[in-house]
Amino acid sequence: MGAPDGLVEGPSLIAVALRHVSKEFGKVQAVRDVSLQIKQNEFFSLLGPSGCGKTTILRMLGGFERPTRGEVYLSGRLVNDVPPYRRDTNLIFQHLALFPHLDVFDNIAFGLRMKRLSPSVVRQKVLKALELVDLAGFESRQITQLSGGQKQRVAIARALVNEPAVLLLDEPLGSLDLRLRMQMQEELKEIQQRVGTTFIYVTHDQTEALTMSDRIAVMQDGVVEQVGSGREVYETPRTRFVATFLGDSNLFEGRVVAADRDAAIVEIHGARVRALAQPGAQPGASVFVSVRPEHVRVAGKAEVDGDVENWWEARVRAVTFKGAFTEYRLVTPTEQVVLAHVPPRNGTIPVAGDQVMVGWRTAECVVLTE
Amino acid sequence: MGVLAVPRPSRLARNWGQQFVVLGLVGPALTFTLAILIPALALLLVNSAYHVQGTRIVKIVTFEAYRHFFTDRFYGGVILQEIRLAVVSTIICLLIGYPTAYAITKIRRPTWVIAAYILIFSPLLTSSVVRAYGWLIILARGGIVNWMLTRLHLVDVPIRLIYNFTGVVIGLVHFLLPFTVFPMLSVLLRMDPAVKEAAADLGATRLRTFLHVTWPLSFPGLYAAAQLTFVLAMNAFVTPTLLGGGRVLVLPVLIYNNISDLQWPLAAVEAIALIGLTWSTVFTSNLLVSKALRASQGAPA
Repeated sequence: MGAPDGLVEGPSLIAVALRHVSKEFGKVQAVRDVSLQIKQNEFFSLLGPSGCGKTTILRMLGGFERPTRGEVYLSGRLVNDVPPYRRDTNLIFQHLALFPHLDVFDNIAFGLRMKRLSPSVVRQKVLKALELVDLAGFESRQITQLSGGQKQRVAIARALVNEPAVLLLDEPLGSLDLRLRMQMQEELKEIQQRVGTTFIYVTHDQTEALTMSDRIAVMQDGVVEQVGSGREVYETPRTRFVATFLGDSNLFEGRVVAADRDAAIVEIHGARVRALAQPGAQPGASVFVSVRPEHVRVAGKAEVDGDVENWWEARVRAVTFKGAFTEYRLVTPTEQVVLAHVPPRNGTIPVAGDQVMVGWRTAECVVLTE
Repeated sequence: MGVLAVPRPSRLARNWGQQFVVLGLVGPALTFTLAILIPALALLLVNSAYHVQGTRIVKIVTFEAYRHFFTDRFYGGVILQEIRLAVVSTIICLLIGYPTAYAITKIRRPTWVIAAYILIFSPLLTSSVVRAYGWLIILARGGIVNWMLTRLHLVDVPIRLIYNFTGVVIGLVHFLLPFTVFPMLSVLLRMDPAVKEAAADLGATRLRTFLHVTWPLSFPGLYAAAQLTFVLAMNAFVTPTLLGGGRVLVLPVLIYNNISDLQWPLAAVEAIALIGLTWSTVFTSNLLVSKALRASQGAPA
């Protein structure tokens, strides 16, 4: 299922390709038949909950695990049996794995020295790498003398100084506090654009993936559920898992009663909804309809807007002020619970117990066949 | 073994409550040590100064035993022999122990790990007397080792493996190996496996990963193991006595002999010399290593 949407055109631009890759650890299936193509200079994220197989894919790219089935290609070369030290990839480990017995300079110089570059070249490159990560002047510091963010930068410099074709990042920001993490996210994206290297980033944090990535592969149980730009996977999720893992979502179970090229009519416990058409949404199919809470409008009966195709009656059950928006928990006469995130506005604000209308456009609701 | 290289706690207990708990925990050991070790050492010092007349100790301070110990060249030879024995045993233990410890960390199956542990620590489960007699039988002229050596035509006539330096070294290595393996094993097991993966990721082959990462990181364990092994080798008594057969003289053996002969002041002086020798080697090696570590890590900013 990952195959068709994982493919992109133009083989010369492909930095990484996985073909029907599976990985088993004993009886545990960590990765199941994953096919992906990642373009050169792309910031690509593998997003999913822990245990979904994203780190296993990264470790197969780094050469630390061998696929049980399938093929891994780096720059068009089959690398299934190539050990880590002969791959043009570098991995930034989850807990960084800096060398505790070496200082900052020697940590960053490690890869260059393994390539037996001359000391003057090593020195020049290390100093340049330190500048890139904003750590100039730190070369003789011990690793233990660095803060979390500084260690992070050393790990990035240690990997990037080797100018790898592909940089692999295994949740490297996980141990940082939120503020520093957001700062490092920006810096990473900036560094990626400056050095023009393919970045493959593993994370369980959807915001992080959306912030940095050109494309995201959403994974669950060893399977790639959907690949696309952040906007695509967020706005048009293909599966129920994708819809709920990336942000909040209202999911309504129903049956397709009619479908044409543009839209499908879905009946949800007697109420009808006009939603975007999906290939699998033929009449009679039982499906889910997903609507993002921020797309749900809450209005008085008199305010109903004709441009919005779907309107349901509902009663306000709870109102919670969340700062940037107000969260409404509503329930329809057919016992469907609807979550709405409404930005601040003037006028009368509904309170718990009020009878209101909830509505969303066809383009804002997606039919999910899986 | 309070003088050995143990990892230092990063900070002392911060408040009185915590200090109280710490004191309570180390209290029994501390009391035991202070109440028994200090008086014993004092007694040793006092005894060492007395005069001996025939087989009777006369309580007059003469320091005669000291003069005897430091002027008779015999004792210099014993001390050299003892240091040589400890150094040779320690080096052999490290040469065998490091690969052993390294191999154990590579075992994947838990049952095999347990089997390896039992095998390594089995010498500690038997009495040193039984162990020494066991070696006497194995290493004797007609023992299995000599039988094999002659059958394989490695030697023409049985070689002497007991009642000499070689025999004592063999026995000591067997006895000391667990103490060598254990500190190294604990350091190797604490090493983050990702650090080695990082080295491989940065282009280091297995050999270069070992040379540039594993080896330097296991050095503290190696050092602790060497120190522990050396101290135990210096103080070994049963193995040199039985496998040396009276021909390999070291200070613990002399102390025992002198006590049997009621030469208590001389035994006391020998004991003090042994303690002094052990402590000074530990102290100087600690100093050298911490200096080397500081030099290799550069001056802290």
